[in-house]
Formats: sequence, structure tokens, C-alpha cells
Amino acid sequence: MRIMKTLKWLLCTAVLAASTSGAADSASAASGRDALFGIWMPDAAPRTLKTANGKAPPLNAAASKLYAERRQRLARGDASFDPTSWCAGPGMPRMLTMPYPFEIRADASRVVFIHDWYRWFRTVDLGAGDVEPPLPLTMGFPVGHWEGNTLVIRTNGLIDTTVMDASGLPHSEELVLTERLRVLPDGRLEDRITINDPENYTQPWDTVLTFHRDAAARVTDDVCPDRLARGEPAERPAPQRANASRQQAAPAPMAKPVSASRLAGIWEPKTFGIMVPNAPLSGAGQEIVARNAAAMQSGKIMQTAWVSCRPGAVSTMTMPREKIVIMETADEVTLLFEMPRMVRRVRMNASHPAKVGSDYVGDSVGHWEGSTLVVDTLGFNGYAELDARGQPTSAKLHTIERFTPSADGNSIDIETVVEDPEYYTQPFTIKRSWKKSAARHPFEYDCMENPRQEDFENAYYVREQYRPVCMRVEGEGMAPSRMVCRRPED
Amino acid sequence: MRSQAMIRSMLSWMLAACFTVAAVAHHSTAEFDYTKQVTIKGTVKEVQWTNPHSYIQLIADGDGAQKVQWSVEIGSPSLNINMGWKKNSVKAGDVVSMTLSPARNGKPYGTLRVLTFADGKKLEGVAARVGAGPGPGGPPPGAAPAAPAPATKAP
Repeated sequence: MRIMKTLKWLLCTAVLAASTSGAADSASAASGRDALFGIWMPDAAPRTLKTANGKAPPLNAAASKLYAERRQRLARGDASFDPTSWCAGPGMPRMLTMPYPFEIRADASRVVFIHDWYRWFRTVDLGAGDVEPPLPLTMGFPVGHWEGNTLVIRTNGLIDTTVMDASGLPHSEELVLTERLRVLPDGRLEDRITINDPENYTQPWDTVLTFHRDAAARVTDDVCPDRLARGEPAERPAPQRANASRQQAAPAPMAKPVSASRLAGIWEPKTFGIMVPNAPLSGAGQEIVARNAAAMQSGKIMQTAWVSCRPGAVSTMTMPREKIVIMETADEVTLLFEMPRMVRRVRMNASHPAKVGSDYVGDSVGHWEGSTLVVDTLGFNGYAELDARGQPTSAKLHTIERFTPSADGNSIDIETVVEDPEYYTQPFTIKRSWKKSAARHPFEYDCMENPRQEDFENAYYVREQYRPVCMRVEGEGMAPSRMVCRRPED
Repeated sequence: MRSQAMIRSMLSWMLAACFTVAAVAHHSTAEFDYTKQVTIKGTVKEVQWTNPHSYIQLIADGDGAQKVQWSVEIGSPSLNINMGWKKNSVKAGDVVSMTLSPARNGKPYGTLRVLTFADGKKLEGVAARVGAGPGPGGPPPGAAPAAPAPATKAP
């Protein structure tokens, strides 16, 4: 009897759902797309990509030889064909094979993937037509469009110094990736990727990656060179399936669009500031700056947090370079900086937690005062320098930024009040301006890409942990260069 | 795209600040002696279009039969593209001459001023613009003051 009741209830529910879904087909498309947004965790994070049918990719003869050589190197423990091993950009689709979460956010103009691994992001332009790549990049030049609830992304301009997976599957710069992302009926995200690279493969082939919701997953401010400095791997091993956190039905943090976006778009600095003049340094601050100056005047290269590829958010306030992407949703203003590469998340109309953590980006909360966005940030780790002189900051650093767009919407003036009683006698203000960019994508700053030995031969390290673990050593004569990594415990 | 005037302005201000910061504001350029110029000739071994700096490895004629490999910093990918370089502007095997400011440590290492191909075509490296004086538009807000501001005089 009880079973019959249950069946009747299920039947009624199904009939009701069917009758309403037909009428609301077009209206539900948007919410269907919303299902793509939020944080995703790889199901398998495969070390070796297979075709959608589980077969080996159709490598041609030359690529097979190269791939076999890499497999042999890997068997000997040499993964230096993979830039990820020294914290350089993993490339695509390698990034999606790493056991790290990522978050998808979107507005009307672009979809953004914010990856947990070392502050990488990729911005998918939703405008029409491919972008002509001026130079191949790690993340390439992805252009997307919606087909119903499926996001289709076509990416060209992918740099060939990256590999497609951890096993060293090669690709050329002719590679074109076509991704089709959709949420499966079971709630997982599927990315079906068509790989078209005639230089390496006898025919285009598909691979499928899937991802799940995980309530415990967070996109954090991961700083890969710090992990290397601690003796940890550049890429953590994939969690065992049994141990993996797989809390289902985690609510996706929806990116609700705002009705009138005031800051969204791509910007670039109007001018470049590399100095913060007249900062009211305290005695302790003066001492550090004088020490830095003496080192530089003796001809040493100063290795600051910025130079050693772990800049703090304060560097985006004092020395922003190149493109800046802003996305604006009801709950968050997202600032994606090309150089220094960093993603800053400003939680709107929120408060700092009672116990603020400590990291390079700090904890940012924002609110609007008329047409000005006010961003309050604290919780810094004190590892960032303000400028090229290495003016210090401490964990007591507190910043208040005021972003005011111009009336015509073509520029933004930013006034930042810096307060840090450890090194400055009073708060002071820094002014910067950004202008609207015509670019469809930011370029890319892969700071760890080429750590040349020469840069470290005569270096002055502001902090000992900034010493590099990996550096490129040039070969003699026609011998190629090689990456040499020395674990801290060696 | 950033204008050349902007690049000039940026570079001149970097110098004015004494803390000359390489093309991408990545690190101090104290390692190079900008008062000197050296010209080398040879065959390009490799072009590294990489961050934070791009390089050309040149197998240059040395004394006698001895060849010397030079590492020449040319800028950075975004900067060189904005200065008119293309991915294949220079390729392995090209025979070129390069005028550069050498490293202070005397090693075969320098920063490019001008690269000249056999047909006379030239490409400028970022160091070509250093010392050209402030460009139109004046100093960027927040940049160092025009007067030399050595770090030893920090407030």
C-alpha cells in the first residue's frame, strides 16, 4: 500500500514537471545556464588523456616518438617537459586535468574560469569571431557562445611549450580546442573537448572530462613558488577516490547579474606607477628601504615578492600593469589582473570575518557609496612591497580603495588609503587611473615561465623564502637549456 | 595597444628614479651597464618568448675560431609585441648583429638595443629607448619625481 502511494506521488510529480517544463522552456534556459556556474572539482584529474572511447590518442609518427621519450623521462622521475613542474603555466587542457577546483563565473560579455592552481584564470570572450593571436599564450584566446544550455568554447593561440596532460602528450601552436560544457542529468559538469592539431595527430579526437560539486572545495589564493620553497610539489597528487570529499548537492554560488553594471569590462592603467613617493616611512620602514637601496646600488637584483612571482594585492593598487578584467555580480566584484597575475574577490555588502586569515590577497569587502565602489581590505600576510624601492608592508596593512568611474564610463579613478602602523607613521593616499580597453582578452603574465639563472646570480633577497627552487641554465654551444630544480632540503 | 610614447615615458621615468626597472618592471636593471654598447654578430640559436623576460641566444663569433654563446634579454612578450615584434620576427638560424648594453659582471650577457638583419632591417630592443628623456604626457601619476630620487634619500 505504501509502495503504491509512493509510486502515485512520483507519477504525479513527473506529470506536473512535464506539463510545466514545456510551457517554460525558453524561460528556463537562463537558469539552465546558471547551473554551469560555481565551483567544480575534477572527478578523475587524469594524468593521461584518452579519447572519449577510452583509446590512446591518434598520435602521428613524429609525435609518437616525442611522447615515448617523455614517458621514458617521466619513468626516470624527470617531469621537466611539463612547465607545471616549476610552477609555470600548465596550458590547456592540462589545467583541467589538475586535481584542483575551479570556479565559473559569467556576465553578458564573458565567461571566466578562476582556477585554484596558482592564481590562473582564463577569460572566454562571448563576442563573435576568433581572435587573431598576436603571440601564443598558455590559456590561448578562447571565444565562446551558448547553444541552449551548452557553452561552446573555441580556443586558438595556445603556446606549444605546454603539454596537454601530465604524461607529456604534445601539441603544436596550430592546436584548436573546441569545448562543449554542459551539466549532465546527474548534476556533474561535462567538458567534451575536440582536439584538432594536424601537426601531432592523424585526425581530430575527442576527450571528455567531468567535474562534480564539492561543498568543501574552495578556490583559494594558491602561490605555487611558496609550495616549492616549502619542499612541496608544484602539483599535489590527486586524492584517492575513497578519500575525496564528494558532498553532493552543494549549492552553486550563483553569479546573479547586476541590473546596471558600473565597472564591468576590460581596463588598462592610464599610466604606469612603479614608485610610491613621499610615503611617511617610520624608522623601521626607513631602515628597510635604506638596506634595499644599498643592495641595489651595489648592483644586486632585488628579489621582492613581486619579482619572485608572489605579489600581494597591494601591488595591484600601486603597480598594476597591462589588462584588468572586472566582473560585477550582486554578491561579488571580481578583479582579475593580468600583471601581476592575481584574482581579487570583493564580497559585496559583507563584513570581514571575526577572525581574518592571513595571505597575499587579504580579505576584501565592498559597498557602493553613490557611484563609488569602496573596497576595504585587511588580512594581509605582510609579504608585499609597495613599489620598486621595496617599501615594506606588514600584517597590519589595511587598505581602503575607492573606485569611481567617470561619467562617460571610459575611465576609473582609484584612490587608495594605505594604513600600516608598523612601517608608516600615518595613513597616506595613492592615486591611480584606469581606462577602458578595446581588447577582448587580457594578455598573460606567466611570471614563473623562464627563471633564468642570470637573474639569481647576483640577487638580494628581501626574504629568504624568495630564493628560487628552479632555474633555467643555458646549455653550452648548441646544447639546449635545461631547468634545474633543487629541493629546499637538498 | 600601448603607444610608443607611453613606453618611452615609462622607461625614462624608470631611469629617473634611479631604480631602473626592466621593461616589465620585473626587476632592477642594475645588472646592465647602460653607458656601454657592444656589438656582436652570429647565428641565432634560440628565441625564448618568455616571461618575465624574453631572450635571444646567439652563437657569436669570438676571438679566433672560438664561438661564444650570448644571452641577450630583448624585453618581454607583451612589450616586444607592442614594439612591433612578431613571433617569427627572429628565428633560430638567422644571422644577425646585435648592439647591446652588456652585463656588469663581464659575462656574455646583455640587454638588446638594436638587432640588425643581413638585409639591414632593424628591430629595437627595449634598451634602445632607455635614456630618451620623458615622452609626451609627462610623468605618470604616482611615479617618481623628476629629480633623482635615490633610495638613500628616502624619507
